[in-house]
Amino acid sequence: MTEKRQLKRPEVLAPAGTLEKLKTAIHYGADAVYIGGNSYGLRSRAGNFSFEEMKEGVEFANQYGAKVYVAANMVAHEGDLEGAGEFFRTLRDIGISAVIISDPAFIDICLTEAPGLPVHLSTQASATNAETLQFWQEEGLERAVLGREVSMEEVRKIRENTDLEIEVFIHGAMCISYSGRCTLSNHMSKRDANRGGCCQSCRWKYDLYEMPFGGERHYIAEDGQVKEEEFSMSAVDMSMIEHIPDLIEAGVDSLKIEGRMKSIHYVSTVANVYKAAVNSYLEDPEHYETKQEWIDELWKVAQRELATGFYYGIPDENAQLFGERRKIPEYKFIGEVLAYDDATKMATIRQRNRFYVGDEIEFYGPGMRHHEQTVEKMWNEDGESIEVAPNPMMILTMPVTEPVQVGDMIRKRKK
Amino acid sequence: MIQITATVESKEQAKALLEAGVDTLYAGGSVYGLRLPQSFTLEELKELVELTKEYDAKLVVPLNAIMHPEKMSHILSYMENLVEIGVEEVEVGDVGVIHLIRKNELPLKFIYNAQMIVTNARQINFWARKGAVKAVLGREVPYLEMKSLVKASTIPVEVLVYGATCIHQSLRPLVRNYENFIGVQGDTSKEANLFLAEPRKGGTHYSIYEDEHGTHIFADNDLNLMLKLKELYEIGVYDWKLDGIYTPGMDFVRIARCFVEAKEALENGQWDEAQVQQWNETIEKLHPAQRGLDEGFYNYDPDEVK
Repeated sequence: MTEKRQLKRPEVLAPAGTLEKLKTAIHYGADAVYIGGNSYGLRSRAGNFSFEEMKEGVEFANQYGAKVYVAANMVAHEGDLEGAGEFFRTLRDIGISAVIISDPAFIDICLTEAPGLPVHLSTQASATNAETLQFWQEEGLERAVLGREVSMEEVRKIRENTDLEIEVFIHGAMCISYSGRCTLSNHMSKRDANRGGCCQSCRWKYDLYEMPFGGERHYIAEDGQVKEEEFSMSAVDMSMIEHIPDLIEAGVDSLKIEGRMKSIHYVSTVANVYKAAVNSYLEDPEHYETKQEWIDELWKVAQRELATGFYYGIPDENAQLFGERRKIPEYKFIGEVLAYDDATKMATIRQRNRFYVGDEIEFYGPGMRHHEQTVEKMWNEDGESIEVAPNPMMILTMPVTEPVQVGDMIRKRKK
Repeated sequence: MIQITATVESKEQAKALLEAGVDTLYAGGSVYGLRLPQSFTLEELKELVELTKEYDAKLVVPLNAIMHPEKMSHILSYMENLVEIGVEEVEVGDVGVIHLIRKNELPLKFIYNAQMIVTNARQINFWARKGAVKAVLGREVPYLEMKSLVKASTIPVEVLVYGATCIHQSLRPLVRNYENFIGVQGDTSKEANLFLAEPRKGGTHYSIYEDEHGTHIFADNDLNLMLKLKELYEIGVYDWKLDGIYTPGMDFVRIARCFVEAKEALENGQWDEAQVQQWNETIEKLHPAQRGLDEGFYNYDPDEVK
């Protein structure tokens, strides 16, 4: 018998664009969530939190022992820094666990004007070596989110040379550039990528041509026998579900899921899957295996194909969105369980998208509980039998074939 | 006192630039420096150091790449070599390199240049406290912001007044990946003269190339602030950079000469608008034919890009 190894449990860190998503993410297993405030963030179009909402979020998180981080990761221009000290002090007093910052100006303000509020270095700062982490540790930071360009081997090397907490991205859409080192959007659309205005110019279609000194344009895609395709920088999304052991063995402290703009369906599913995988490895690393069920779950909320970023090599053309897209089955979030009566096997449900009697649906809940069934019957709030649940947020009851719990979600595959 | 810094593509050009009156040569190795017209060995850099001494000028070595652990494991001894050959100043963009310089108490001054993320005085002053002697301003800072930024900065701020502006760096081989997909095996280096045209703006020409630091994309037009030099001087921008990555040989030297003459005119109180127009025309004539020139974000209202 080998002695049980002491492995460090990495936190599963989920995005939360709204208070509802925050609660869902934590209910579905996220150990921490990151949100945006009304200023200083990079997602001007993501739902951002008022201080009141933050307070409620922190109170909710506290019941689960979960943490709430606030991203304040814009790169400031003159005038943008006003009020930042007050902002950070308010976050601290609300009970926010840390702020995620990339601009040293904000770091400086936070450390000097809001002492006691931990600071995490944002991935926007493209930290790719241990010395950078050593520097920031000496300044008083608690954690660094590494640049998305580091390989697994580099994560290990960095871990060996610093004890600052390390956070890495494990899932979601990724910047194609070194984060922060891209102003395509500023120059092409007058929208500042580093101040929350990024219009994703990298996902556009371009013409690539060569133009020798003083010569004519020659379009690369017009050469002889080439496949018809325009130039794009668009990358597929990341999923590290098949490499959880590598991440835990490398000593990573936090596993970050991208997507403050993503749906409740996405947040619940992805947090659920990664939490299950982490739990499974920590329980029994020797007999761990990636479950097909996890992979299947992630595909249900995937928007693009999935790859592993830079972890196992420089991404090639297969990690970019060229050519015919693989058809990804789409699922629709249709409702959530408000109550369940074990005696009658009846569930009370709040509708979130239209569905019908006869539909094949799937219930899923925290801890990867899930079951599929057909909608046999439904009743509305007045107890009338209905064939369709047409109204958003309407309350209905239906028989379920397996026990469900409050907070379980229901999805249906789009035809 | 205005300081003009110019990139270097060869020893011959270096000599000509110094003859033309440039104060600082900007040259180094491509392993640690980003987007350089030429990569120089330590041996060659030593010659450049000696050359600068003859002209009472200096050499700044760019070490401004984003460093991964492999590069970090060699850079300390590289910097020690730079000290040995007489280099006194480097340019840095990666915090890890700053940490190494400080921790090892290397006798190297450093200029902070993290490209487009250097956009406010508070950030610059933070690095000043960590030892930075100068900061290179992001090209996305308009004049009106520069004005208050320069005033609030505790160290000199360097502004690009001529040359190409990098607007994107990816570690992915974006051109190679695309060409692999469509089935082409072309040259993807700077020498291939590749450009991107925006969708529905076919006339645009964003330079793109790949090297060991990944893929680099440059702004549609190169920058030329000749007509704004007096304004810059008046708000305290005394450090001007000329980037010759796309302007070869003696043309670049002649352009540099225009800026040196402008500097002298400002310093001697002999600024003459007609003369400035002439220098500007010279620059436009010498600038590579397929590349445009404009004033970048300089004239933008601070609220124009949000």
